[in-house]
Amino acid sequence: MSKHQYAMVMDLNKCLGCQTCTIACKKLWTDRDGTGYMYWNNVETRPGLGYPRQWDRIGGGWKDGALQPSPLPTMDDYGHAWEYNYEQRLYEGKKQPVMPSPEPKSGVNWDEDVGGMNEDENYFFYLPRICNHCTYPACLEACPRKAIYKRDEDGIVVIDQDRCQGYRYCIKACPYKKIYFNEVTGKSEKCIFCYPRLEKGEVNACAAQCPGRLRFVGLLDDPESPVHKLVLVHKIALPLFPERGTQPNVFYVPPFNPPKRENYGKSIQEDPRVPLDYLIYLFGPEVKNVILRLEAELKKTQEGGRSEALQLLIGRDAETRYRIRPQLVQIHL
Amino acid sequence: MRTRQLLIIGSASLLLCPMTRAQAGARPAAGQSLSVAAPSANADNLLHAGPAAWSQIAVKRIALNRTPPLYDTDEPATLEISSADVRLARVSGKLLVQLTWRDPTHDATTFAEVPNTPPETRFRKVQTEADDRFFDAAAVMFPAKSGAGVIAPSLQMGDAEHPVEIYYWNATRGSMVMQAQGRGTTRRTGQSFPANSTYQNGQWNVVFELPDLPAGTTVAFAVWNGSQKDRDGRKYFSVWQVLE
Repeated sequence: MSKHQYAMVMDLNKCLGCQTCTIACKKLWTDRDGTGYMYWNNVETRPGLGYPRQWDRIGGGWKDGALQPSPLPTMDDYGHAWEYNYEQRLYEGKKQPVMPSPEPKSGVNWDEDVGGMNEDENYFFYLPRICNHCTYPACLEACPRKAIYKRDEDGIVVIDQDRCQGYRYCIKACPYKKIYFNEVTGKSEKCIFCYPRLEKGEVNACAAQCPGRLRFVGLLDDPESPVHKLVLVHKIALPLFPERGTQPNVFYVPPFNPPKRENYGKSIQEDPRVPLDYLIYLFGPEVKNVILRLEAELKKTQEGGRSEALQLLIGRDAETRYRIRPQLVQIHL
Repeated sequence: MRTRQLLIIGSASLLLCPMTRAQAGARPAAGQSLSVAAPSANADNLLHAGPAAWSQIAVKRIALNRTPPLYDTDEPATLEISSADVRLARVSGKLLVQLTWRDPTHDATTFAEVPNTPPETRFRKVQTEADDRFFDAAAVMFPAKSGAGVIAPSLQMGDAEHPVEIYYWNATRGSMVMQAQGRGTTRRTGQSFPANSTYQNGQWNVVFELPDLPAGTTVAFAVWNGSQKDRDGRKYFSVWQVLE
């Protein structure tokens, strides 16, 4: 375990699926050769396939102290890049419509806004995903090169590009499939939690650009930080797939939807829009208690009281949402 | 209490002693010797010469073994490449090694360059074609401290006292010189070496240009089959051979 641990909380009730975080990350970090299909940050529609598709069912992580097997996702699972036949259509006088080639069959947001059905009603929500910078990273354990390490000063998990040989055991081991292989460099890459920005006192690019202001960043062990308060004091944020054993440090405030019909005065447990079973699948059984806590906080404000937890979730300004501690950083030579 | 601890440490080190010796390897058995030809061609010509030029040189067929699964989560692999043919020639102060082996799957690629645009301005980037393919490769390993009478290091990349040099060739990424002092310590030196490869009729033919190694030096060979997801220690390997 590291001395300190940076963490992020994302309030799924505020995510509008605009992908601004995705683009902020892509422009900053993965605009290089071999990184086309890489989305260190992606936002997927849930329920849905995810990216790479069906990543949540592939494998990896820990069970009874042992790494779990997993195949490598294929390019079909990520989706191949395609081009359009503009030349033929615009310059060669061919009459066929502009068509992509190869025929797209999957992609980073292939099933956006499709969602699922709850009896007769469609429902969905967005799930932004980055590397979870786990406390017990399966990727780190799986790397025979010891190329992956967890920074002692802030718990950020990074891949040493000099040591990495592109073996891809880490991709198999990661239960969140958040490591990508760059075939051009022959090395694996992942979200670095924007550590060069944090070291200068700037928040992560995905958080800085988020118009929904749904991201909270700080040290989990800093009692003044918003992530500490949301996760450990108010206990309204949970990690994704806690049973995979890696102890993620990215947490989610689960979708706290009004009931499907006649919403006022009704508990969301009575007629939930998002089936509780699906939320339990993603966040574990504790999600029910979190929703009850959120409901109680909401009731407090509806009765004219003040909820510290909800005020924090509103997160009006950057000072509320982020607490960056650049002084933690040691000089790395 | 302290005496007991010392006793335990003492008996443990006694037990470890034979293991350490075994790790350092033993002298290769008779029959594991490789003859080295001294043809009149120069090194550069022989490096780029086709199989015809090499066919004059005596060949030795070397058995290849498959490493056992290294990790619990590894998929099992079958023995698809059971041997490799080795020819050696000492020319112009270099040791040329020709390694040929049958591999029906050609696992290699060349990365397309986006034409006529400097990298910093081009709109399209070189795509990653796949994240799940691995490439054919081969290597020659020899002790960093070479010479007659030197005990062969551990086949598992030597150890701290017996470092090894590895001349590694990859069908996609070219050649690179590596050094290691035991399993998991392999590192690139940043240097490459002259190598030439052809793939024809389901057969790889790779020529390595090594520094001249004196007679008595032990060398070992490794082959990686990309279609079997070979990389790392997941590979085919030979036992130590001795240069004549």
